[in-house]
Amino acid sequence: MLSIKESGYVIMCKMVVKSLFFVALAGSLALTGGCKSKKANSADLYGSGGNLYGDPLMGDVPLNDTMGLPADGDRSMFPPVYFAYDSSQVNPEEAGKCDQVAQYLKKGKGGVIVEGHADERGSREYNLALGERRALAVRDYLISLGVNPSVIQTKSYGEEMPEDMGHDEGAWRMNRRAVFAIY
Amino acid sequence: MKRSMLFGLALLAACTAWSQRAVVTKEGEGKIGINLGAYQTGGDGASRTFLAVLKADLNRSGYLTVVSSGGEVAVVGRCVPGGGQLVADCQVYQTATRRSLLGKRYNAPENSARGLAHQVADEIIFAVTGKPGMASGKITLVGNRTGRKEIYICDMDGQNMRQVTSDRSIAVGPRWTPDLQNLTYTSYKRGYPNVFMTGRAKPLSSYGGLNASGAVSPNGKSMALILSKDGNPELYVMGLGFGGGLERLTRTRQCEASPCWSPDGNHIVYVSDSSGTPQIYILPRQGGQPMRLTTSGTENVAPDWGKNGYIVYSSRVGGRYRIMIANPVNRTVRELETDWADYEDPSWAPDGRHIVCSRTSGYRSSIYLLDTQKDSPIPLVSGSGDWYSPSCSP
Repeated sequence: MLSIKESGYVIMCKMVVKSLFFVALAGSLALTGGCKSKKANSADLYGSGGNLYGDPLMGDVPLNDTMGLPADGDRSMFPPVYFAYDSSQVNPEEAGKCDQVAQYLKKGKGGVIVEGHADERGSREYNLALGERRALAVRDYLISLGVNPSVIQTKSYGEEMPEDMGHDEGAWRMNRRAVFAIY
Repeated sequence: MKRSMLFGLALLAACTAWSQRAVVTKEGEGKIGINLGAYQTGGDGASRTFLAVLKADLNRSGYLTVVSSGGEVAVVGRCVPGGGQLVADCQVYQTATRRSLLGKRYNAPENSARGLAHQVADEIIFAVTGKPGMASGKITLVGNRTGRKEIYICDMDGQNMRQVTSDRSIAVGPRWTPDLQNLTYTSYKRGYPNVFMTGRAKPLSSYGGLNASGAVSPNGKSMALILSKDGNPELYVMGLGFGGGLERLTRTRQCEASPCWSPDGNHIVYVSDSSGTPQIYILPRQGGQPMRLTTSGTENVAPDWGKNGYIVYSSRVGGRYRIMIANPVNRTVRELETDWADYEDPSWAPDGRHIVCSRTSGYRSSIYLLDTQKDSPIPLVSGSGDWYSPSCSP
């Protein structure tokens, strides 16, 4: 749990990396992550250092079974979190939205389905995975803020449920999102 | 580890060498003229449909061209209805030598004139060229004409369209099972994205998080799929027999997507953005070290590994999606010549020569047949909403 919080701190700071200390910390965390698979050279295959600043996933916290869980919720309570193209990183300017959700969930009233979406560009199957990763990045961030993982479910819609039906950058920006459905 | 990779490559090589005769090499000579001028039909609709579909199939094959005079090959015989059946006699011979290439009587119910024509077309193509045809194949695809996203199947010529699912939900990525009796697909009909197989009410996979891209192995015993239940989208293989079992094949901090089996079932090709952009990788079936197949381009997605040994995929080039064909052994890549539209989700046709894919222009998607040799693209399915994610029967 401690390491999750530490790396959460790194994520918060990653856009404003000014000191060598943070670079070193991020680097050591990336190394730890790489060694997890016990294959020393797997980093080469996957492009070493590619996720030094960009990796939003902190702990691979297993998901609940969805059996018996609600599949829908109230999407009007909190605004969506928006993402950059092909990115699942929770940007610092969007992180505040997660903080509100975390405060609400920590009161123990219910749970949330984090619905991840992608814009229409790219393959549908890849966008399913990308949407899931966006939802998981938000979930991990909520966990790092102290929310109980068992009340956070993820659901990826890929590019299948656009918010804005347009085909320009403005529409795509609205569609690269994670929506909070509170139950 | 190195040894197993070499072994894997040797298998890949064996697999590809088998196919190199048939595919991707440009043929210098023209098409073989085939004359059906003397072929007789009844005055009824069924037998005339039979002949029209047969001619269209022969022309679409890429190897033959139907001519009204001359021609190296002639087809004689007749197709007539009788007792609810359609009976087609076919004699195929070389015009110069009178040598017989095929002589056979076919029959089918009168209402399956199209299916009968597809079968006869493939037998004629094989008899004349020694190469497999594609006319009897089937395409599964997604359409949104009902306002929902449902799964459909149609013949290789885009006709005979039938709606398979009526889930009133979102269906994604249909694929054939190797016995061609069923399809696997992802659906939200139970609220969350689960993997289903046609003919079974219960999902094949319904773990927490994402369950997607189910692809049944060539021997039918297991299914590759993408699951996020352990906290990140990863590639898994699930046993389909009694007792099941689940193996996790990748451990990355990024996304995996779109698994597809090699024809021998020993490898899986898939997409991973572990390098920072979506690229195509190959893994041995039992797991291990992934080999990166695509080395250039910012986005390489949606691979399909043909029985011919080649992997076709979609690549973003100059802001447009193009169709690429890669040889996994020597890792050479060839781009198919296409126009300015976006071409995505390619799937090998059963003849190992053609590719079915979606073509998007003006934000509308339709299904096209592309030739890896020299023929022009042919629209197969368009209109009545969007059509996409085609997958051919192997």
